[in-house]
Amino acid sequence: MQKNHISAAIISILTLAACAVAGASFLEHRKVEPIVRGPGVTEVVKLSAWYAGLAGTPADTDVYVFRGQNPGGSMLVIGGTHPNEPSSFLSAVLLIENASAESGTLYVIPRANASGFTHNDPQEGAPLAYSFTLPDGSKRTFRYGSRATNPVHQWPDTDVYVHAASGQTLSGNETRNLNRGYPGRTDGTLTEKACYGITEMIRAEKIDLSIDLHEASPEYPVINAIVAHERAMPIASQVVLGLEFSDITIGLEPSPKNLRGLTHRELGDATDTLAVLMETANPSQGRLRSRTDEALVLTGKDPYYVKAQKLGRLYVPFDEKGHPIEERVGRHLTAIGEFAFAMSGEYPDRPIELSGVPGYDDLGAKGLGAFLRTAD
Amino acid sequence: MKILYLGIAAAILALTAWNLWTEKDWRKQATAAMVAIPLLLRVLLIK
Repeated sequence: MQKNHISAAIISILTLAACAVAGASFLEHRKVEPIVRGPGVTEVVKLSAWYAGLAGTPADTDVYVFRGQNPGGSMLVIGGTHPNEPSSFLSAVLLIENASAESGTLYVIPRANASGFTHNDPQEGAPLAYSFTLPDGSKRTFRYGSRATNPVHQWPDTDVYVHAASGQTLSGNETRNLNRGYPGRTDGTLTEKACYGITEMIRAEKIDLSIDLHEASPEYPVINAIVAHERAMPIASQVVLGLEFSDITIGLEPSPKNLRGLTHRELGDATDTLAVLMETANPSQGRLRSRTDEALVLTGKDPYYVKAQKLGRLYVPFDEKGHPIEERVGRHLTAIGEFAFAMSGEYPDRPIELSGVPGYDDLGAKGLGAFLRTAD
Repeated sequence: MKILYLGIAAAILALTAWNLWTEKDWRKQATAAMVAIPLLLRVLLIK
């Protein structure tokens, strides 16, 4: 055997071993962690029930339904549009495991981009997962996903992404961004089909209010804010005032009419729902962040962002206390409660009354793990 | 389109493997190996 063949054989074996180790880690990311049904969940339905084209695809996802004992309006909470924004997903999980609907119907999608949860973004150094300790000492672990659909499920990206309904052009990597694909289409990409499924669900169920949960980098201008479609502005204004009474400062932004493909624009235009999107502050997805690990995801403490704040570079207050996950989830959940309250006041014939939703102060005092149920 | 791109990735993977086995310098063989890892993971639809 030639000398170079000996080294080639050794290197090939090492290469296959590296592929095996990396591949096992990537495949582990596809396992779906359990979400425990709380007392208020009356049904769990697949999104493909509203658009059969999603059945059997990686974009099909669970929709948790809470039907109240009393009739009323309906509200949809969309979590996990971007799986690298943990407060979005965790807010949906806490609703599923704790909330009940007394009047009206609540729909919760925890993994709106289910494919995005099956991988992570290269070159970001993000942790694979984060964990919470429950009061009984057990642990619940959730993966830190990607902003976009898994390229294994949708590939290749075009050089330029053209939003089908408007012709708007964006960077090619937005092709896999769920929040650029609305209202979606049946002959489009997997991401656009998922958008279509959600839009169809809103149409079919005549959902009155749709809330899309997000997080943003501290240097991003739209942060700690509600972005509202023009028809949703009156109710969103009431929510801003309600949150101020709870000492939660939040901005209110109108949905730009020329920024297409996002929930707050397209769901409001394509359906009768009142469409809003909410953002909290997540330093673990920012460009100025320091070491990106589980602690940063959960505590939101980052010395680089403290420095950036002192230099006036941020759009959100940032001190040594950071923005812990309890604060971020608490903001989302409190706002959801305020939206339900405002809906009931504005549309008394379509009340939405929720109970059991963890409160902002309770989350801060007890920690998020106190509101998770033990998984079997 | 996806099938076409997978075909391209498989072809480049084959060329990279050929380079690894014909190259005399072990450092260049190692370089070829590093190129092959993401190609192999994509061809197998793992990453």
